[in-house]
Parts: sequence; C-alpha cells; structure tokens
Amino acid sequence: MDFSLFLQNMVNGFSLGSMYALIAIGYTMVYGVLRLINFAHGDIMMVGAYVCFFGMVSLNLPFIAAVVFAVTICAALGIITDTIAYKPLRKAPRISLLITAIGISFLLENLFNVIFGSEPKAFIVPEYLQKVLTFGDVTVAMSAVLVPIITLILLAITLFILYRTKYGMAIRALAFDIHTVNLMGIDANLIIAIVFALGSMLAAIGGVFWSLNYPSIEPMMGVLIGLKAFAAAVLGGIGSVGGAVLGGFIIGFTEVVVVSLSPEFSGFKDAFAFIFLILILIFKPTGILGYNFEKSRF
Amino acid sequence: MKKITTLALSLAAISSFGFAKEITIAAVMPVTGPVAAYGQTAYEGVTLANKMRPTLKNGDTIKVVLLDTRGEKVETSNATTRAISQNKAVGIIGELITANTMQVMAIADKSKIPVIAPAATSDKLLDNVKFGSRVCFMDSFQGKAAAEFTAKELGYKTAVIVVDQAQVYSLGLAKTFESEFVKNGGKVLSKLKISSGDKDFKAIVSQIKSKNPDFVYVPTYHPEASLLARQAKQINLNKPMVGSDGVANPTFIELGGDAVNGFIFSDSFDASNPPTELSKKFLDEYEKEKGTRDIAGFTALGADAYFVMVEAMDKCADPSDSVCINDQIHKTKEFSGVSGVISIDEKGNAIRSVVMKEIVGGKPTFKANVNP
Amino acid sequence: MRVPKITHIIFFALAVGFLVASHYIFDDYSLRVLNNIAIFIILAVSYNLINGVTGQFSLEPNGFVAVGAYVAALILLDADAKNYQFDLESPAAFVLWLHSSNFLLALLAAGVCATILALVLSFPVFRVRGDYLAIVTLGFGFIIKILAINYPSITNGSLGLSSIPQHATLYYTGGIAIISVIMVLNIVYSKFGRAMKAVRDDEDAALAMGVNTFAVKTTAFSTSAFLEGVGGGLWACSFASIVPNEFDFYLTFQLLIIIVLGGLGSMTGAILGTILVIGGGEWLRFLDEPISMFGHTFDAMPGLRMIVFSVILILVMLFAREGIFGKRELTDVARSAIKRLKR
Repeated sequence: MDFSLFLQNMVNGFSLGSMYALIAIGYTMVYGVLRLINFAHGDIMMVGAYVCFFGMVSLNLPFIAAVVFAVTICAALGIITDTIAYKPLRKAPRISLLITAIGISFLLENLFNVIFGSEPKAFIVPEYLQKVLTFGDVTVAMSAVLVPIITLILLAITLFILYRTKYGMAIRALAFDIHTVNLMGIDANLIIAIVFALGSMLAAIGGVFWSLNYPSIEPMMGVLIGLKAFAAAVLGGIGSVGGAVLGGFIIGFTEVVVVSLSPEFSGFKDAFAFIFLILILIFKPTGILGYNFEKSRF
Repeated sequence: MKKITTLALSLAAISSFGFAKEITIAAVMPVTGPVAAYGQTAYEGVTLANKMRPTLKNGDTIKVVLLDTRGEKVETSNATTRAISQNKAVGIIGELITANTMQVMAIADKSKIPVIAPAATSDKLLDNVKFGSRVCFMDSFQGKAAAEFTAKELGYKTAVIVVDQAQVYSLGLAKTFESEFVKNGGKVLSKLKISSGDKDFKAIVSQIKSKNPDFVYVPTYHPEASLLARQAKQINLNKPMVGSDGVANPTFIELGGDAVNGFIFSDSFDASNPPTELSKKFLDEYEKEKGTRDIAGFTALGADAYFVMVEAMDKCADPSDSVCINDQIHKTKEFSGVSGVISIDEKGNAIRSVVMKEIVGGKPTFKANVNP
Repeated sequence: MRVPKITHIIFFALAVGFLVASHYIFDDYSLRVLNNIAIFIILAVSYNLINGVTGQFSLEPNGFVAVGAYVAALILLDADAKNYQFDLESPAAFVLWLHSSNFLLALLAAGVCATILALVLSFPVFRVRGDYLAIVTLGFGFIIKILAINYPSITNGSLGLSSIPQHATLYYTGGIAIISVIMVLNIVYSKFGRAMKAVRDDEDAALAMGVNTFAVKTTAFSTSAFLEGVGGGLWACSFASIVPNEFDFYLTFQLLIIIVLGGLGSMTGAILGTILVIGGGEWLRFLDEPISMFGHTFDAMPGLRMIVFSVILILVMLFAREGIFGKRELTDVARSAIKRLKR
C-alpha cells in the first residue's frame, strides 16, 4: 500500500470510528447506571437523523438549528422512554428491561415505517460540508474531517461533566451502588434521566453525522449501527466512556483497513466488529479499559 | 325518453351491483421489516391499478387484500396460507424477495392458486412450479443485455463488478454479466462484494480507483448504488457506472444527487415516453395522486402483475377458476402493460425488451432499446 | 426414572389427542400457524434451558438453527439437485457426497452438528459471564450467518437452498415438540437440572459447593443446541427454501421475547409465549386491513399491526414484570389455586 492510500484509509477509519464512538458512549453510560443493554439506542440515533431532516425540510430551519432541534427532541425522547418503559421496571429482573428495550426499538422502527415509509430519504447536506478537500492524492469530504474533531470535543465535554460536576459525581456514584446513592439523598431517577438525555443527545449527533457522511436515512438504519456500536462499547470495556471511544475507533479502523488491504474479505466486513470483540474478550474478559464488574466504572 | 334511459341504466347498475360477486386478489408483500421499501412501492402500484380497474368485464368487483410478510419466511408462509384459505384469494401477487417468492409459490402450487411475481428475477424461480409466473425479466436476460450494450455499443474493454452478496438479484445479474462480458471480448478485473444496508464504500471505491477499469458494473438496489456513486465522486473516481433496474426508482436520483449523472442502467420501460396507452393512463393517475410522474420500477411492475392477472380473469368463463386463470396468464401475448409490452411463456417467464437509460441532468433519459 | 404423575399423563394425552385431531378440525391456514408454533415451541423450550434455567444470557440460537437447517437441507437434497442449484460456485465434494433421503436421520444429523458446534464454542464463550456472554454469543450468531453468505461452495451463499423436501408436517413438528418438552422437563427436574438452577442463582456459590459449573453450562448449552439444530432441520423441511438472511439476530430476539414474556425458566411460559407471539401476531393481521369502527371505515394502514404488536409487548412486560408465568409451571399455578380453593 502506498503512503497516500494509507493516509486515505487513516482518514476514513478515523471518521467512521468516531461515529461508532459517539453512539457507543450512550450505550456505555446507560449500561453503567442501569446495567441495561439499551437496544433502542440505535433507533434513537435514527430518530435524530429524521428529526434533523424534517427540521430542515418542513420547518425550514438552517442546518445548525435543525441539529439543535434534533438533539433536544432526542433528549426528550430518551427521558420519555426511560419514564415509560424502564422506570416502572427498576425492581424487576434486568431481562424484562431488555425486552421493553427491544419493544421500544420495534415501536420506533415501525412507527417511522408507517408514518414516513421505508423508502430511504435523501438527507440534505449543507453546501459548506459537501466541499471536498484534496491533499495530494488524499481526498476527504469536509464532513469527514469535522466529524472526528467534534467527536473529540464532545468526548471532552462528556468527561468534564462526569468528572468535574456534581451531577457527574452522582452518575459515577450511581454506577457503583444505586441503593446507597438513594440513601445519600440523591434522586436516582433524576440522575438516570440525565444519563438517558445525555446518551440520546450524543446518539442524535451521531445520527446527524452519519447522515452527513452517508446521506440516506431509513427507519431501519439504526439496527446494525447500533449493534456494532454496542460491540464497540463492550470491546472497550462497557461502562467506561474512554473505552467506548477507543472501541469505536478500533472497529471503524478495522472495517476500513481490512477491506482495503484485502478486498476478498470485504464480504466479512460486518462480522469484523464481532470477531475482534470475541478475540479481545477471550484474552481480557472485561474489555480493553473495562474494570471488574463490582469495581468502579467511568 | 331521457328519464327512462336513466332509470334503465340505474336499474341495470343496481342489478349488476346486486349480482356481482367479489373476487379477491391477495398482495403478499413486505410492508414492514428490513425490506419494507420494496413491498411498499410495489403495493402502491397494485392499489392504483386496482383503482383504475376495479371490476371485471362481467361486473364482478376485485378486492385486493394486503398480507404483510415482514420480509421473513415464517410470516410469508402464514400470509400465503391465510390468503388462500381465509381470504379465498383466487390469485396472489408477491413476494418481492426471491427466497420468499419461492416460498409463496411452493404453497400456492399445492392449492393450484396462480402467483405472479412482480420482481423476483432469479433464473431458476419457476423451474419447479406450475402456478407461478412473473412480469419482470430474468437475470440472465438483463445481465446479457447490459454486457452486450457495454461491450459492443460503448466499446468498453475492462470492468470491475460491485456485487451485493446479500441479494439474490445482484448475484444473479453479476454472474450472467461476467460470463457475457467475457464472451464479448471484455475482461473483468475484479469483483468486489458489498452487503445490502452497507453505507460506507470508501474502501471499495479506492479499490476501484487502483484497478482503473473502463467502467464499473453495479447491479445493486438504489440505496447502495447511490451512495457508491457519491463516494466515488468524492475521491474523483470518474469512471462510468452501469447498473440495473434495481436503481429504477426516483429515490436513486434524490440520494445520489449530482453524483449519479452519467449513470447508465437497464430498465423495463421509459417513463418519460410511455410505451403503451395503459402506461400513459397509469402515469396520469399516478401524477394525480402523488403529484409527480417519477415512478419507481417496482410500482409499475406491481401494477402490471395486477393487470396481467385481471386480463387473464376476464378471459375465463368463471373468473374464480384459478386453474383457468393460471392457464390464461401463461398464454399472455403482447399485453400492453404499464411497463411495456409483456408476453408470458409456457413456463411463466416474461418476454420483454430492455431499455438502456442514462441519467442526464437528474433525469433518466432513453439511450437504447435491446429486444429479446 | 420417576413414575410419571397422573397430571403429566393427562397433559401428554391431551397434547397427542389435540395433535391427531387438529388435522380434522382446522383448515390449512390454522394448520400452518400451528406448525410454525410447534417449531417455535421446540426452539423456545430449548433456548429456555440455557437462558432461563441455567441463567446464561446467550443470544446465539439463530446460529444453531441455521446450522441445523443447512445440515438437514444438504442431507436431504440429492447430488443432482445440488449441482443444479449451486450457481455461484460448484458444490464442494463432501457436500455432493452427503445425501440420504431419511428425514429422521437428517434431523438427527442436524442436531448432532449443532451440538458439536456448541461444544466447540463453549470454550471461548464460557470464559466470560453475564452481559459479556450475551454480546459474544450474539457475535457468534452473526458470524455464522456471514459465513453462510461467504462460503457458496457449501451453502450456495445468499441464493440459499431450495426445493427442500417438505417432510415436516404437523405430526412431525408437533410430535417432536411434545418429545422435546418432556425431555427438557426431565432434565430440569433431574439432579442436573438442580445444578443448572444453582449456577443460575449463584455461580460462585455453586462452584464453591463443588459443582463443576463449566460442565453444567456446557451440557445445558449443547443440549439446547441439539434441540435448536433439530428445530432448524424442521424449519428447513417446513419451508420450501432457506437463505442465510432468515437466520438473523431478529430470530434470536423473537425467541428471547417469547421466553421472557412467558416467564424465564418456565416451560409452560415458553409454550404460552410462543402461542402469544407467533399466534397472536397472526391474530393481529386484521389491523393491516381497513378497519370499520363506529360506523366509519378507516383506510388501511399497512404496518399498523407491528406497531400494535410492539405496544402490546411493552405493556405486557410492564404489567407482568417477571413474565406471565414467572418461574412457575402450569402445574404449580394449578396446585396453588387448588390450595387456595380448599382454604
């Protein structure tokens, strides 16, 4: 592989990886506080993309405003799903929560299918993000450059919230022991709602970024991305925000690099995330940055 | 006098209303699940066709019932049996995916109910069934047409094929295209695999770039083909792309934007220049309902499946005699359908011509006609 | 062997009687739905063994079903059929050699192959626990599907296999469903079943008590794989064709919904869950048709059925938090009801 192709792949992998990372953060945070694999998370990402799209088309909002709109709606949606489907089950077996999560996921997919149809819609990419930058042989779309940068900024903000604010401290405490946190006079439900809001906001941004790079949105778009992002979260060590980002980048890079190194493996692309995950978990059963379950998280 | 005629007419209307039977045609299609888009577009065609021609010649009304298959096996088998034994359908239109269509036909064959597949193109679909037929062309024919057109008319020598390995449709086309293209003196440099639902083709397009072929053959559905074209443009891969009727959908141009200009594809008919009287009427109706004349290939094929079936029913003395309907479907000769002139042979395969089109300025434009 | 209780014999007789009578009572459609329910009962009951009784949150039954379906289909199709069907690559030599028209032998082979795979997989899989186990097994299920797509000389890729002899009538599916329920119940109430429940309730404690937890888990895993493989074989012989895409994780989710809805660990729950999810989904079909209500006909909304289905799923889960039967069986429920009446 010559150097420019190598660079091209690096850029592509970085951009793909950061999108997985953004979605994986939401998985990992919800898992941290509720020990719930939130299968509806990928669909919240889909909702984010749709809301942003309709914000631009139906409400004539400028792109940035539409993104803010989508983020707000998704935060609300995250809180609503928590209140309706997860909160009543706080004391139920965790697997019942998983089923309601799958139920919410089916509901969102089918609702959007009936309302908007399954035919993909062309997401509107603003002119300034469509620009293609050329460095020698390497060409990158503006959006592909912005995505990793914004991901890193968002990661910094998330870490700041987790480690430097009172709410972040409460979230981390909740991950340790939900009962004690209740005893300490912290409203656990409020904190969980905040976690859902935060995770869903990141998912919405992830959905918008995804649609900027691949401008075709449809009701089932969140399913496979969601699963891969979840694999990324586990790969990095579920419960750890840094691990989720790392896992996202690893999976993004593998998908891009392996396909370009040996195209005969391109048929296995979707399986890479899982093959990698299994290999790592065999040697390190808690993921790369994961700690033991009973010990600290984040 | 005028009053009497009105009276007579209205009496006739009432009596025909009173005696006319209701005959059911079942649309067994996926309207939810991962392939819902195919079913939804085809069903649009079936319902519109039903609206245009709701009765048979003898006055019987035709009722279309939709049975969702969710694109999966269990539901497909349930839906088909339900259509036959509960809805008492005399004919079935569906499914869209080849594997599920086989399932529908296997069940319907036992009950001797005719099935018209609007979009299952696999060559071997009808080999083991007596009550199946289709209105779309076979992979071998479309792939051959594309290969001959590119090799002879356009003079291309080398190709890279991008095949969707999760679609029977794509695999079948790629296979015939490859052998026919080689037969015509061309050379296939590489075959790259993608899977339906993939969004990221950056690695694929840089592979194509490094192979430097004369053109790229992309026999996939429109969501993948459009994104592939977009991402090819981003890395300045300016090779011509040739596709198949899987991209015959207005969404393809919406999704692809500027990047799909110059995309050549094979299709069943040219909507900007309707080939038959029926297709002109159908497009008018479609425009009335949707406000556009841009119509998806599946919609036209869904409508044709309906029209061919109704045409066959009209030829039968008893329009609910499904064996007769099936015979008549298999005897369809030069039927002027929405998507062009269709003949159906003994086995149930449609004989029809291929139209090559190119997207120019965001509009599919006619390029050439390839007859069987 | 314990002496079977009178209630068990009654249940058994009722089930067999229903099976024999169903061919005379029901029309094709109901028979088809019953047939599918029977196949799903086999899958759900066996999945319940590893997931509910042993408490190992695994998500790969779709992989075992796929293996079973492919093995059975490859055995039942003869060499000519294979040569004719394999379009992408010519079939591998052993694929051509593999043939027998004995349906039961094919089912057995399907089960055995799935078991062997389960035994091999149990080494990497049971190195991890809990939710890590879930994602690893989900990964394996996914990889099996991708392998089926990518090795066309064995599986014919996405084109799949078709014209599989449709041996699986309701007598077979129903009969095997009854046998597997009895088999699984016998395991659950054996010494081994108690060890499985011990692993579920507290793995470390079970280990400390001298239970070889790995052996217990592997046994549960491979037993459930055997039945899933057999179920897969029935699947292949019940539908005319198989393709890799139908063995997606969606199938696993469906089974998971079934066993959790019915009550994780309860066999009657699994059966009821199957009837609700597979049969109930069919019953909801009227929602896709135009609906007349209050003298007004609403236009058909294709897809409404699935929305209602997911809402019902969420509601049931909210109100029956541990599933409809919890961990109890029908006999337990009946017994406690009788006790309450006596009081």
